[in-house]
Amino acid sequence: MRVKLLYHTDLDAIKRVLAQKEVVFDPEAMMDHVFYMFEIEDCSRVTTHQLVRHRAVSYDQESQRFSAATKEGVVTPPSVQSNETGYKAYDEALKAVYSAYERMVAAGVPKEDARYILPSAIKTKLIMTLNARSLMHLVWQRTALQAQWEIRELATTLRGLAQGATPELWTKIIER
Amino acid sequence: MKVTLIWSSPFPEKTIAVAMRRCYSTKPIEDIEAELEQKGPEYWKYLLSKALQDRSLDVLEHFVLTLALEGTTDADVGLLVRAFPYLRATQLRPIDWLVTLNARTLVELWNDPRGKTLAQMVVSELSERGVCPIFNQLAFGMGANAS
Repeated sequence: MRVKLLYHTDLDAIKRVLAQKEVVFDPEAMMDHVFYMFEIEDCSRVTTHQLVRHRAVSYDQESQRFSAATKEGVVTPPSVQSNETGYKAYDEALKAVYSAYERMVAAGVPKEDARYILPSAIKTKLIMTLNARSLMHLVWQRTALQAQWEIRELATTLRGLAQGATPELWTKIIER
Repeated sequence: MKVTLIWSSPFPEKTIAVAMRRCYSTKPIEDIEAELEQKGPEYWKYLLSKALQDRSLDVLEHFVLTLALEGTTDADVGLLVRAFPYLRATQLRPIDWLVTLNARTLVELWNDPRGKTLAQMVVSELSERGVCPIFNQLAFGMGANAS
Protein backbone atom coordinates (compact mmCIF):
# COMPACT_ATOMS: atom_id res chain seq x y z
CA MET A 1 0.00 0.00 0.00
CA ARG A 2 1.19 3.50 -0.79
CA VAL A 3 -0.32 6.73 0.56
CA LYS A 4 0.63 10.22 -0.58
CA LEU A 5 -0.52 13.59 0.75
CA LEU A 6 -1.26 15.66 -2.37
CA TYR A 7 -2.09 18.92 -0.59
CA HIS A 8 -3.29 20.31 2.71
CA THR A 9 -4.77 23.61 3.82
CA ASP A 10 -2.21 26.25 4.75
CA LEU A 11 -2.99 26.58 8.45
CA ASP A 12 -0.62 29.55 8.76
CA ALA A 13 -2.75 31.51 6.27
CA ILE A 14 -5.79 30.99 8.52
CA LYS A 15 -3.78 31.85 11.63
CA ARG A 16 -2.70 35.16 10.08
CA VAL A 17 -6.37 36.11 9.57
CA LEU A 18 -7.19 35.10 13.15
CA ALA A 19 -4.30 37.25 14.42
CA GLN A 20 -5.49 40.27 12.39
CA LYS A 21 -8.92 39.91 13.94
CA GLU A 22 -7.45 39.26 17.40
CA VAL A 23 -9.16 35.89 17.63
CA VAL A 24 -7.47 33.20 19.73
CA PHE A 25 -6.39 30.12 17.72
CA ASP A 26 -8.58 27.17 18.72
CA PRO A 27 -7.43 23.89 17.11
CA GLU A 28 -10.82 22.28 17.76
CA ALA A 29 -12.65 24.97 15.74
CA MET A 30 -10.09 24.83 12.92
CA MET A 31 -10.69 21.11 12.31
CA ASP A 32 -13.62 21.95 10.04
CA HIS A 33 -11.48 24.22 7.89
CA VAL A 34 -8.25 22.28 7.38
CA PHE A 35 -8.46 19.84 4.46
CA TYR A 36 -6.16 17.10 3.21
CA MET A 37 -6.17 15.42 -0.20
CA PHE A 38 -4.62 11.94 -0.30
CA GLU A 39 -3.81 9.42 -3.00
CA ILE A 40 -4.12 5.81 -1.77
CA GLU A 41 -2.73 3.06 -3.99
CA ASP A 42 -2.71 -0.71 -3.86
CA CYS A 43 -4.93 -1.34 -0.90
CA SER A 44 -7.69 -3.94 -1.27
CA ARG A 45 -11.32 -3.24 -2.10
CA VAL A 46 -12.09 -4.86 1.28
CA THR A 47 -10.46 -1.84 2.87
CA THR A 48 -11.99 0.76 0.57
CA HIS A 49 -15.44 -0.68 1.37
CA GLN A 50 -14.66 0.07 5.01
CA LEU A 51 -13.15 3.45 4.14
CA VAL A 52 -16.13 4.80 2.21
CA ARG A 53 -18.38 4.26 5.23
CA HIS A 54 -16.76 7.41 6.64
CA ARG A 55 -18.87 10.46 5.79
CA ALA A 56 -18.26 14.03 4.72
CA VAL A 57 -15.36 12.73 2.63
CA SER A 58 -14.87 13.08 -1.13
CA TYR A 59 -13.68 9.95 -2.93
CA ASP A 60 -12.79 9.20 -6.54
CA GLN A 61 -11.77 5.59 -7.13
CA GLU A 62 -10.35 3.62 -10.03
CA SER A 63 -13.29 2.05 -11.84
CA GLN A 64 -13.46 -1.65 -12.61
CA ARG A 65 -15.91 -0.84 -15.37
CA PHE A 66 -13.09 0.36 -17.58
CA SER A 67 -9.79 -1.05 -16.28
CA ALA A 68 -8.89 -4.70 -16.64
CA ALA A 69 -8.14 -6.80 -13.56
CA THR A 70 -5.09 -9.03 -13.15
CA LYS A 71 -4.32 -11.81 -10.70
CA GLU A 72 -1.10 -10.04 -9.70
CA GLY A 73 -3.11 -7.08 -8.40
CA VAL A 74 -4.45 -8.63 -5.20
CA VAL A 75 -3.73 -8.20 -1.50
CA THR A 76 -2.99 -11.38 0.45
CA PRO A 77 -3.67 -11.06 4.20
CA PRO A 78 -0.72 -12.12 6.42
CA SER A 79 -2.91 -14.79 8.09
CA VAL A 80 -3.45 -16.40 4.67
CA GLN A 81 0.15 -15.92 3.59
CA SER A 82 1.45 -17.74 6.66
CA ASN A 83 -1.02 -20.60 6.49
CA GLU A 84 0.05 -23.25 4.03
CA THR A 85 -3.38 -24.84 3.56
CA GLY A 86 -5.14 -21.49 3.63
CA TYR A 87 -2.79 -19.97 1.07
CA LYS A 88 -3.21 -22.96 -1.25
CA ALA A 89 -7.02 -22.57 -1.15
CA TYR A 90 -6.70 -18.79 -1.66
CA ASP A 91 -4.36 -19.14 -4.60
CA GLU A 92 -6.48 -21.82 -6.28
CA ALA A 93 -9.63 -19.72 -5.92
CA LEU A 94 -7.88 -16.65 -7.36
CA LYS A 95 -6.59 -18.63 -10.32
CA ALA A 96 -10.09 -19.97 -11.01
CA VAL A 97 -11.70 -16.53 -10.67
CA TYR A 98 -9.20 -14.77 -12.92
CA SER A 99 -9.32 -17.53 -15.48
CA ALA A 100 -13.13 -17.15 -15.62
CA TYR A 101 -12.81 -13.33 -15.79
CA GLU A 102 -10.33 -13.46 -18.66
CA ARG A 103 -12.44 -15.98 -20.55
CA MET A 104 -15.55 -13.83 -20.16
CA VAL A 105 -13.76 -10.68 -21.37
CA ALA A 106 -12.21 -12.60 -24.29
CA ALA A 107 -15.68 -13.87 -25.18
CA GLY A 108 -16.99 -10.32 -25.36
CA VAL A 109 -18.60 -9.87 -21.93
CA PRO A 110 -18.09 -6.19 -21.01
CA LYS A 111 -15.52 -5.62 -18.23
CA GLU A 112 -18.23 -3.91 -16.19
CA ASP A 113 -20.19 -7.19 -16.11
CA ALA A 114 -17.27 -9.65 -15.96
CA ARG A 115 -16.07 -7.83 -12.82
CA TYR A 116 -18.99 -9.23 -10.81
CA ILE A 117 -16.86 -12.31 -10.24
CA LEU A 118 -13.75 -10.44 -9.02
CA PRO A 119 -12.57 -10.85 -5.42
CA SER A 120 -12.62 -8.15 -2.73
CA ALA A 121 -8.87 -8.75 -2.39
CA ILE A 122 -8.28 -6.86 -5.63
CA LYS A 123 -5.97 -3.84 -5.34
CA THR A 124 -7.41 -0.42 -6.06
CA LYS A 125 -6.40 3.23 -6.24
CA LEU A 126 -8.34 6.26 -5.08
CA ILE A 127 -8.08 9.89 -4.10
CA MET A 128 -9.72 11.16 -0.95
CA THR A 129 -10.27 14.71 0.29
CA LEU A 130 -11.49 15.36 3.83
CA ASN A 131 -11.18 17.78 6.68
CA ALA A 132 -9.34 17.23 9.93
CA ARG A 133 -12.57 16.53 11.83
CA SER A 134 -13.58 13.67 9.51
CA LEU A 135 -10.02 12.35 9.40
CA MET A 136 -9.70 12.39 13.17
CA HIS A 137 -12.90 10.39 13.53
CA LEU A 138 -11.63 7.90 10.95
CA VAL A 139 -8.26 7.62 12.73
CA TRP A 140 -9.92 7.22 16.12
CA GLN A 141 -12.11 4.36 14.88
CA ARG A 142 -9.74 2.63 12.51
CA THR A 143 -6.57 2.62 14.59
CA ALA A 144 -8.43 0.83 17.39
CA LEU A 145 -7.28 -2.71 18.09
CA GLN A 146 -10.65 -4.06 16.92
CA ALA A 147 -10.08 -2.55 13.44
CA GLN A 148 -8.80 -4.86 10.71
CA TRP A 149 -5.07 -4.89 9.98
CA GLU A 150 -5.17 -3.28 6.55
CA ILE A 151 -7.35 -0.28 7.37
CA ARG A 152 -5.43 0.10 10.64
CA GLU A 153 -2.24 0.39 8.62
CA LEU A 154 -3.95 2.90 6.32
CA ALA A 155 -5.37 4.99 9.18
CA THR A 156 -1.99 5.05 10.94
CA THR A 157 -0.31 6.26 7.76
CA LEU A 158 -2.98 8.93 7.14
CA ARG A 159 -2.57 10.15 10.70
CA GLY A 160 1.22 10.37 10.32
CA LEU A 161 0.96 12.42 7.13
CA ALA A 162 -1.70 14.78 8.54
CA GLN A 163 0.21 15.19 11.77
CA GLY A 164 3.39 15.99 9.88
CA ALA A 165 1.60 18.62 7.79
CA THR A 166 -0.44 20.29 10.55
CA PRO A 167 1.02 19.20 13.91
CA GLU A 168 -0.97 21.76 15.92
CA LEU A 169 -4.25 19.99 15.12
CA TRP A 170 -2.93 16.56 16.05
CA THR A 171 -1.58 17.01 19.56
CA LYS A 172 -4.24 14.56 20.72
CA ILE A 173 -6.93 12.43 19.09
CA ILE A 174 -10.30 13.79 20.12
CA GLU A 175 -12.78 10.96 20.68
CA ARG A 176 -16.20 11.41 19.16
CA MET B 1 -21.02 41.56 3.14
CA LYS B 2 -17.38 41.16 2.12
CA VAL B 3 -15.63 37.98 0.98
CA THR B 4 -11.85 37.54 1.11
CA LEU B 5 -10.06 34.41 -0.05
CA ILE B 6 -7.67 33.06 2.59
CA TRP B 7 -6.55 29.84 0.91
CA SER B 8 -7.53 27.57 -1.97
CA SER B 9 -6.31 24.16 -3.21
CA PRO B 10 -3.27 24.54 -5.47
CA PHE B 11 -3.78 24.12 -9.25
CA PRO B 12 -7.58 23.67 -8.95
CA GLU B 13 -8.34 22.78 -12.56
CA LYS B 14 -5.49 20.26 -12.67
CA THR B 15 -6.66 18.79 -9.36
CA ILE B 16 -10.17 18.29 -10.76
CA ALA B 17 -8.61 16.68 -13.85
CA VAL B 18 -6.57 14.34 -11.61
CA ALA B 19 -9.81 13.27 -9.88
CA MET B 20 -11.42 12.55 -13.24
CA ARG B 21 -8.49 10.57 -14.56
CA ARG B 22 -8.20 8.59 -11.31
CA CYS B 23 -11.54 6.93 -12.08
CA TYR B 24 -10.45 5.69 -15.49
CA SER B 25 -6.73 5.05 -15.13
CA THR B 26 -4.78 2.19 -13.54
CA LYS B 27 -1.62 4.33 -13.42
CA PRO B 28 0.05 5.66 -10.26
CA ILE B 29 -0.69 9.28 -9.39
CA GLU B 30 2.70 10.56 -10.61
CA ASP B 31 1.99 9.19 -14.10
CA ILE B 32 -1.47 10.77 -14.15
CA GLU B 33 0.00 14.12 -13.07
CA ALA B 34 2.75 13.87 -15.70
CA GLU B 35 0.19 13.04 -18.40
CA LEU B 36 -1.96 16.03 -17.40
CA GLU B 37 1.07 18.32 -17.29
CA GLN B 38 2.13 17.18 -20.74
CA LYS B 39 -1.36 17.60 -22.25
CA GLY B 40 -1.74 21.04 -20.66
CA PRO B 41 -4.64 23.38 -19.71
CA GLU B 42 -6.67 22.75 -22.87
CA TYR B 43 -7.04 19.12 -21.82
CA TRP B 44 -7.95 20.08 -18.23
CA LYS B 45 -10.57 22.37 -19.73
CA TYR B 46 -11.95 19.51 -21.83
CA LEU B 47 -12.21 17.22 -18.78
CA LEU B 48 -13.78 19.94 -16.62
CA SER B 49 -16.35 20.85 -19.26
CA LYS B 50 -17.25 17.16 -19.55
CA ALA B 51 -17.71 16.88 -15.76
CA LEU B 52 -19.97 19.97 -15.73
CA GLN B 53 -21.91 18.77 -18.75
CA ASP B 54 -22.49 15.30 -17.28
CA ARG B 55 -23.17 16.79 -13.84
CA SER B 56 -20.43 14.55 -12.44
CA LEU B 57 -19.84 17.18 -9.80
CA ASP B 58 -18.12 14.86 -7.29
CA VAL B 59 -14.75 15.63 -8.88
CA LEU B 60 -15.20 19.32 -7.99
CA GLU B 61 -15.15 18.39 -4.29
CA HIS B 62 -11.35 18.15 -4.33
CA PHE B 63 -11.07 21.90 -5.00
CA VAL B 64 -11.44 23.49 -1.55
CA LEU B 65 -11.68 27.17 -0.58
CA THR B 66 -11.30 28.91 2.78
CA LEU B 67 -12.75 32.40 3.03
CA ALA B 68 -13.21 35.26 5.47
CA LEU B 69 -16.79 36.49 5.44
CA GLU B 70 -17.34 39.91 6.99
CA GLY B 71 -20.60 41.70 7.76
CA THR B 72 -22.89 38.66 7.91
CA THR B 73 -25.37 37.86 10.64
CA ASP B 74 -25.93 34.60 12.54
CA ALA B 75 -29.30 34.25 10.81
CA ASP B 76 -27.83 34.51 7.29
CA VAL B 77 -25.00 32.06 8.00
CA GLY B 78 -27.41 29.73 9.82
CA LEU B 79 -29.59 29.60 6.72
CA LEU B 80 -26.60 28.74 4.55
CA VAL B 81 -25.17 25.98 6.75
CA ARG B 82 -28.58 24.34 7.08
CA ALA B 83 -29.21 24.43 3.34
CA PHE B 84 -25.64 23.47 2.34
CA PRO B 85 -24.30 20.86 4.78
CA TYR B 86 -20.83 20.77 3.23
CA LEU B 87 -20.34 24.48 3.92
CA ARG B 88 -18.46 24.91 7.21
CA ALA B 89 -18.67 28.19 9.13
CA THR B 90 -16.98 29.27 12.35
CA GLN B 91 -17.91 32.55 13.98
CA LEU B 92 -14.83 34.65 14.67
CA ARG B 93 -16.54 37.86 15.84
CA PRO B 94 -20.24 38.88 15.95
CA ILE B 95 -20.48 39.44 12.18
CA ASP B 96 -17.18 37.90 11.01
CA TRP B 97 -16.89 34.27 9.89
CA LEU B 98 -14.40 31.74 8.67
CA VAL B 99 -16.03 29.70 5.89
CA THR B 100 -14.77 26.62 4.05
CA LEU B 101 -16.49 25.05 1.07
CA ASN B 102 -15.64 23.05 -2.00
CA ALA B 103 -16.26 23.91 -5.64
CA ARG B 104 -19.26 21.59 -5.85
CA THR B 105 -20.96 23.50 -3.04
CA LEU B 106 -20.02 26.73 -4.81
CA VAL B 107 -21.85 25.53 -7.93
CA GLU B 108 -24.84 24.52 -5.78
CA LEU B 109 -24.86 27.94 -4.07
CA TRP B 110 -24.75 29.59 -7.50
CA ASN B 111 -27.80 27.63 -8.64
CA ASP B 112 -29.86 28.32 -5.48
CA PRO B 113 -31.53 31.65 -4.69
CA ARG B 114 -30.49 31.27 -1.02
CA GLY B 115 -26.83 31.04 -1.97
CA LYS B 116 -26.57 33.09 -5.13
CA THR B 117 -25.37 36.34 -3.51
CA LEU B 118 -22.56 34.59 -1.63
CA ALA B 119 -21.64 32.53 -4.72
CA GLN B 120 -21.40 35.66 -6.85
CA MET B 121 -19.11 37.32 -4.32
CA VAL B 122 -16.89 34.23 -4.06
CA VAL B 123 -16.67 33.87 -7.85
CA SER B 124 -15.83 37.56 -8.17
CA GLU B 125 -13.08 37.22 -5.52
CA LEU B 126 -11.66 34.13 -7.26
CA SER B 127 -11.79 35.95 -10.57
CA GLU B 128 -9.99 39.04 -9.22
CA ARG B 129 -7.24 36.87 -7.80
CA GLY B 130 -6.98 34.75 -10.96
CA VAL B 131 -7.29 31.55 -8.93
CA CYS B 132 -9.19 29.32 -11.36
CA PRO B 133 -9.89 31.10 -14.67
CA ILE B 134 -10.91 27.97 -16.57
CA PHE B 135 -13.32 26.85 -13.83
CA ASN B 136 -14.84 30.33 -13.54
CA GLN B 137 -15.33 30.54 -17.27
CA LEU B 138 -16.90 27.09 -17.65
CA ALA B 139 -19.01 26.98 -14.48
CA PHE B 140 -20.07 30.62 -14.17
CA GLY B 141 -19.41 32.08 -17.63
CA MET B 142 -21.24 35.09 -19.02
CA GLY B 143 -24.93 34.33 -19.44
CA ALA B 144 -24.49 30.67 -18.53
CA ASN B 145 -25.50 28.86 -15.38
CA ALA B 146 -23.33 26.07 -14.05
CA SER B 147 -24.65 22.97 -15.68
